[in-house]
Amino acid sequence: MRGKFQWEHAVLLLALVLLTVGTYIGLAVAPPERHMGDVQRIMYVHVPTAWIAMLSLTVAFVAAIGSLWSGKHKWDAAVVGSTETGVVLTGLLLSQGMIWARATWGVWWDWDVRLTTSLVMFILFAGVLALRASVDSAERRASWSAVAIIVAYADVPLVYFCVRWWRSLHQVQSTPETVDAAMMLPLRINAFGMLFLATWFIVRRARLELAQRQVEETTLPERRSVEEVQHA
Amino acid sequence: MSLASRELPSVAATMAPPRSPADTPAGAISGPSWLNNLRAMLAKELLLEWRNLSRLGSVALFGAVTLVLFSFVAPPQAGARRMATAGFLVLALLLSSTLSLSESFRKETHHRALTGLLLVPVAPSAIFIAKAFANFFQLVLLAPVLIPVALVLFSVDLTATSGVSYPLLQLLAVWALASAGLAAPGTLYAAMTSDLRGRDVVLPLLFFPLVVPVLLAAVKATALVLSGDAMGQLGSWNLLLLIFAVVHGTLGTVLFGYAVEES
Amino acid sequence: MEPKLESSAVAIRGRGLGRRFGRRWALAHVDLEVARGEAVLIAGSNGSGKSTLLQLVAGLYQPTHGSVEVLGRPSHEQRRTVRRSLSLLAHDSYLYASLNARETVKLWAGLVGRPRSDAELAALLEEVDLADPSLGAVAGFSAGMRKRLSLLRVRLEEPQIVLLDEPFSALDSAGRLMVESWIRELRAAGRTLLIASHSIERSARLCDRGVVLDQGQIIWRGPASALAKRKMEPR
Repeated sequence: MRGKFQWEHAVLLLALVLLTVGTYIGLAVAPPERHMGDVQRIMYVHVPTAWIAMLSLTVAFVAAIGSLWSGKHKWDAAVVGSTETGVVLTGLLLSQGMIWARATWGVWWDWDVRLTTSLVMFILFAGVLALRASVDSAERRASWSAVAIIVAYADVPLVYFCVRWWRSLHQVQSTPETVDAAMMLPLRINAFGMLFLATWFIVRRARLELAQRQVEETTLPERRSVEEVQHA
Repeated sequence: MSLASRELPSVAATMAPPRSPADTPAGAISGPSWLNNLRAMLAKELLLEWRNLSRLGSVALFGAVTLVLFSFVAPPQAGARRMATAGFLVLALLLSSTLSLSESFRKETHHRALTGLLLVPVAPSAIFIAKAFANFFQLVLLAPVLIPVALVLFSVDLTATSGVSYPLLQLLAVWALASAGLAAPGTLYAAMTSDLRGRDVVLPLLFFPLVVPVLLAAVKATALVLSGDAMGQLGSWNLLLLIFAVVHGTLGTVLFGYAVEES
Repeated sequence: MEPKLESSAVAIRGRGLGRRFGRRWALAHVDLEVARGEAVLIAGSNGSGKSTLLQLVAGLYQPTHGSVEVLGRPSHEQRRTVRRSLSLLAHDSYLYASLNARETVKLWAGLVGRPRSDAELAALLEEVDLADPSLGAVAGFSAGMRKRLSLLRVRLEEPQIVLLDEPFSALDSAGRLMVESWIRELRAAGRTLLIASHSIERSARLCDRGVVLDQGQIIWRGPASALAKRKMEPR
């Protein structure tokens, strides 16, 4: 891999530029929100994180199906990369959500639909990583984590709707849905920035996994000569 | 003696009659139908259940003990205790299920019996459905032990519920649906973790977040049965449990083969 | 070189077959062609790859390198079809500890699609000396008893291709004689056999050809009788 240009570095550069610009506009230039004031600015990081976390885990889901279908290493590497990135992003999402909750409602935790769902998702996909860590055989690791990812992903909508319904029976403050036009720009810039950043992480991690596999996988031993006997 | 001199085609003529009339030229023989396999698997599960009934008793005892522990930490006022019953009852079911699920594959891996089944070959989907059903059945059998224990410990009077007809039957219906929701994904995960080092940690870690919808829906539904269902929501929660069981049952049927085959 | 055979006459074909577990290559560069009706002995010390070879033929693992086909079909990819034509007697007995012998045989007969009457099952168990109901569940069986019960499974499956991994191990002399006569029956019926065994002398006289595996590679090929002689010479 040395010497070969790795395209993801260009993507990283783009990501850093976009995130810098987007965050600057979000923190300094965009107007403060009507009700919440400057606290709302966390949305410029929070919303893109949510989108890209979900996207990463969707990539993991697709890669898992590919892994089961083809059985080739590269699909498993993609599964690892996107799952780990997704878990980290979901963890970030949780912390951002808690900061938001503290700032707007005064409590660190509220059984808000999205907060609860992201908590469950975090544990769910972190569990898949724990499963991976306990399996020694590379082939089993690949097929089992693929199965676990598919099941976990299918569970997410079930969790979301269940929690939402569970909460709708009580009065609950919800995060604001409508977004002003002036706020859309930094949001979009940051969203793309996060997208490229996540892409960089996924590709790097996948490459690392493939490299690790290459090291582990010793090459075929030399063919030995065969003694052939024709008659008894 | 060289192989070229052997008359290979005539050897085929001396072969004993094949297993079934449908012997294709390539030598593949059509075996019994999938339904026959399923029936055989179900019979096997039933027989194994019967042989290992004492295990079920231990799980039921474990569930009862957890209920006792919960009753110690439940609020002392009668009204609050009754509200908490639903939650504790479903938790007892959940905790008991990890025990019975992790055990369900021990017998398959001991002498690699599961590999033997796959070599016959038996369709993995048939193995899964039979196993999931057996696990479902085990969880349902916990109801006659855990429900009375909970009703007594938490001072719940089933005849005093409003707006709910046949409360005991409704309770059992919720229990059955919750058991299905636990057995479906649980069987799949148990298959993957039964041989693993650290399985006692990995199975709950994977399983608990996955079945959060079952936990929430079952607690809500049970609470409605015990305290009254003024707004008629019980049916919707039951539907959610059913959807969960169907989704994960289908996923398990499709994915089980990948979980148990070596590769 | 493996003699080239017409594809319809080939039961098992391994080409450059290799399988790695972790860092260790259990098999490498294995070229093997077994004709229909042939019996091939696979000899080699412990850890030489005999079991792995049989497992690969049965489609239990995907080859890391090369390929293996049974009756023209890749073993792992089309394992469902391939397994209908073969049966594997492995080191693991594939038994359920809480069932007894009769229940086990009844289960297998049903799975194979030929449910037998109680009388037929009793006769089968009689042949392997496991008909006594007081023997109880498999959990209490010795290794030899488990082996004999596993043999019945292979019999019930009536496969075209029989893979035997150490068929004589764990058995007393009566058991070994029984296995020998059973193998002769299979040969007379034209079945294809692949036998992995330590007991060279006993197995060689039942087979046409033999190969010797060492550290996962074939180092010797020839007629089975020559293999028997080779082993008896001082090394």
